[in-house]
Amino acid sequence: MAVCIAVIAKENYPLYIRSVPIQNELKFHYTVHTSLDVVEEKISAVGKAMADQRELYLGLLYPTEDYKVYGYVTNSKVKFVIVVDSSNTSLRDNEIRSMFRKLHNSFTDVMCNPFYNPGDTIQSKAFDSMVTAMMVQAS
Amino acid sequence: MAQCVQSVQEFIQDSFVPMVAVLCSEHAEQVTRKNNLNFSELLRPFCRLTSEGHMRDPNNQVQVVKNLRISVNNVVTRPSVPTSGVHGPAQRRLLSEVVSACQPAEGGVANVIPAGDYDLNISATTPWFEAYRESFLQSMPASDHEFLNHYLACLLVVSSSEAVPVEQFLKLSQEQHRIQHNGEYTNPKWFIPNTLKYYVLLHDMSQGDEQRADSVYEDMKQRYGSQGCYLLKINSRTAAAGTDEQIPDPWSQYLNKSSLQISVNCLDNTHPLQLETAIDTPGSLDSLRAVAAETKTTTVYTGMVAGTSHGACLTLNDHDRLRLFIQEFTFRGLLPHIEKNIRQLNDQLVSRKGLSRSLFSATKKWFGGGKVPEKSIAELKNTSGLLYPPEAPELQIRKMADLCFLVQHYELAYSCYHTAKKDFLSDQAMLYAAGALEMAAVSAFLQGGAPRPYPAHYMDTAIQTYRDVCKNKVLAERCALFSAEVLKSQAKYSDAATLLIKMTCEDSDLCSALLLEQAAHCFINMRNPMVRKFAFHMILAGHRFSKAGQKRHALRCYCQAMQVYKGKGWSLAEDHINFTIGRQSFTLRQPENAVSAFRHILTNDSQQTSTQQGAFLREYLYVYRNVQGVCEVALPQLPLPCINSSATRVYFGHERRLAEGEKQAATHVSLDQEFDRDLAAVWQDLEEQVVATANRGVVPSTFYPTQCCLNSQTDNLRFPLAVVEEPIIVEVAFRNPLKVPLVLSDLSLLWKFTLKDFSQPQPQDVMVGDAFTISNEKEARLKLLPRQTGQLNILGLVYNLASTPTGDSTINSPSALEGTWVRGRQDLKIQGPRLNQTKEEKTSVSHGPDRRLDPTITPPMPLLEVLTHHCPLPLTQK
Repeated sequence: MAVCIAVIAKENYPLYIRSVPIQNELKFHYTVHTSLDVVEEKISAVGKAMADQRELYLGLLYPTEDYKVYGYVTNSKVKFVIVVDSSNTSLRDNEIRSMFRKLHNSFTDVMCNPFYNPGDTIQSKAFDSMVTAMMVQAS
Repeated sequence: MAQCVQSVQEFIQDSFVPMVAVLCSEHAEQVTRKNNLNFSELLRPFCRLTSEGHMRDPNNQVQVVKNLRISVNNVVTRPSVPTSGVHGPAQRRLLSEVVSACQPAEGGVANVIPAGDYDLNISATTPWFEAYRESFLQSMPASDHEFLNHYLACLLVVSSSEAVPVEQFLKLSQEQHRIQHNGEYTNPKWFIPNTLKYYVLLHDMSQGDEQRADSVYEDMKQRYGSQGCYLLKINSRTAAAGTDEQIPDPWSQYLNKSSLQISVNCLDNTHPLQLETAIDTPGSLDSLRAVAAETKTTTVYTGMVAGTSHGACLTLNDHDRLRLFIQEFTFRGLLPHIEKNIRQLNDQLVSRKGLSRSLFSATKKWFGGGKVPEKSIAELKNTSGLLYPPEAPELQIRKMADLCFLVQHYELAYSCYHTAKKDFLSDQAMLYAAGALEMAAVSAFLQGGAPRPYPAHYMDTAIQTYRDVCKNKVLAERCALFSAEVLKSQAKYSDAATLLIKMTCEDSDLCSALLLEQAAHCFINMRNPMVRKFAFHMILAGHRFSKAGQKRHALRCYCQAMQVYKGKGWSLAEDHINFTIGRQSFTLRQPENAVSAFRHILTNDSQQTSTQQGAFLREYLYVYRNVQGVCEVALPQLPLPCINSSATRVYFGHERRLAEGEKQAATHVSLDQEFDRDLAAVWQDLEEQVVATANRGVVPSTFYPTQCCLNSQTDNLRFPLAVVEEPIIVEVAFRNPLKVPLVLSDLSLLWKFTLKDFSQPQPQDVMVGDAFTISNEKEARLKLLPRQTGQLNILGLVYNLASTPTGDSTINSPSALEGTWVRGRQDLKIQGPRLNQTKEEKTSVSHGPDRRLDPTITPPMPLLEVLTHHCPLPLTQK
């Protein structure tokens, strides 16, 4: 159960950010923006490795005191970032991977929409509902 | 970290220097007082030795001591500042004054650092951090677990004009002995029981008898040996001599800092008077009184002692003599003394090593369980405190190591520290162990020749021990500063940054702010600069700065962070920064910056919640009001609401009267109608036919169809005609991009009029006076009545902008407007159609003129109104 999910375009501006506790939204924005540095470092470090499924998942970017940030980059350099509560230790790596896979699939669906211009913010309701299903239920 | 003025080695070496104390007699004070300086201040600019010294280490190898600096201070026996591990409030005040005094120069040196996609315009140096660091290190209290801050030698200064200088010397010498050994004072701390005493005979050239001075000096040399005394001649310049030559004044830079510091220290000192009555000897009493009186006057000053001149009685020769004096003292007195002590300690250690170690380990073996647990329990009780008496053998190693460090024998120092660390750790004396670890790491780094790899883990352990076990934040901070500097010089920026961030804590805002800023600079200086981390930490630093009350530094940090976030689409973050910049600028009385920052928040397609937008809007209006109150004769341009200029419609003529009863008015063109292109074409045709008929079948070349209602789809290339005394109605379309409603009131048009002939009073405008709110889009109609012929240009709108009070969306009560509102204007500029006729126009983007808003006012013309009466229906049907 994620606390914040973000989709970031190739040029590093956000296509879609949503976080559950609305009060801390600013903090999550900052966290996601800063984690882009780490993502870029990892991308450049990979170099000319083959882009297979395993390489797309970047793993734990960095742990802060309350949250863990995971990253995933697609072949077209669109990045997904998931922020998870640290106290939620029951989330295993595989679950995060499956979340990213679902995100990637939904994102591809959004891209396939002929009325969607790449580079616009994502307004699709289907994407929204998929993300809501993955987020922590607001108490 | 940002680049510093000093290199790492210089910085560390300058932080630990041999300390020398000064005791002056009363007459000697008077001599130096002629220059507005006391003796230690007189010496301060000359304390850096330019030549090299040579020393022999215990292995009889010659070591070269380069660029040594010594630190000369008065003996100030104030009650000890409690070494509680945190700074007292006076210290904090001093530090924050130092930082706020050091601001970046306006328009100062800024580099453009290309980093990835960003080109950042930031300054690479942070002089305020260096100022903070310097005064932090200077204000550290001397501790008992290390000997680097302890006095090694004492200068006893007596003036040659006294009756019996030798007696004075004896008195001062006894004084020093008493201060050191009496046990009354815990400050200042002395290194060895046998402090070096150096006798200085101060001779005033303008006043004294030189021969007598020389003879006294000879006498002294007999008594104390030629290596132990010196005749110093100063004050060669008589006061009467004019100021033809410019004597440099190297004292002022030192005096400002020291006056701040002394004033702070004096504030700590509760009763200087009480101290005076306790002691009863003349020499030091006078010097103390002089010091105390001087500090009292400097506290009155609260600032620079710029008015008084220093060193007025000294010529350049005197400067040279002072320099020579320091050199002589150091090379003939101090360094041999240190060398002798190193040798002594070394001998003691070597002899003791064999004996005591075997004894200790033997007792451990034989007495096994009984003795050892007792000892360890006793020690566990005070591992964080001071464990050893000052003369304990373990401390001898530490002393030797410190002495070697002070004279730059880093290899020997490192090995001693290493041994000391092992001893302390096995004894569980954590404070000492941490100190030894810290110095071991530093000396390993400073070691020339075949350098060892820098043992960063030593430093980390030391920092951790200081912070957790000994609870001494000040020492931990010192370690961190050194370690970060060293890591930076080795280009290990990410380690340095992590270290600095770990050191930030909740209680000290200023310290955390400075450390965060340095961490941000580390990030940006990496090989692959982590620009976003830099920006984020700058924001955190700015926040802490504003909590610490350093507003200008806070503003600077936020502005630098803004460069990274600007225009990148992270709107929430950008808005937050803009909002904070706006607030800070406003409190710093930079209203223009505040206004422009707020403008950014409001004009973008903000994705903030409506409450947030409401708050922004109110803040903006409040700032704007204050800006207007201060200056600004002209009306400011407001960014809200957005005006859709091209949707402006202009209608010339009276509004048509509606039908009354059986009369039906001709519909005519009016603003309420939608524009229909086909219908307009039909009307144009009809008009051409009429004109043609009136002109005998020919349409004159200057004909063009009259247009009453001009909008974006009509042909607006020519100046429209309006008639005197007939109203012109302008309809302006507003759009509100925010989620909160905006209240506009007192709208009117701005116009400019040029007369064609000079006769009558000016045209007047009529306003649409009632207020209305705009939630999304709305049009407003404003009327203008020309009274003279000429050329009218409608320039824009002026109005009052307000926000609704929270929770109240009805605006009809006048009290709703009592809140913050601002009068401002917006210009109406309509861009004409894109020209597409000639080849150049097709290949370039050029727009023709649109003259909707520039009617020519013509002299009165007849006005027709058509009313049909009982018009048969088929005529009006198709």
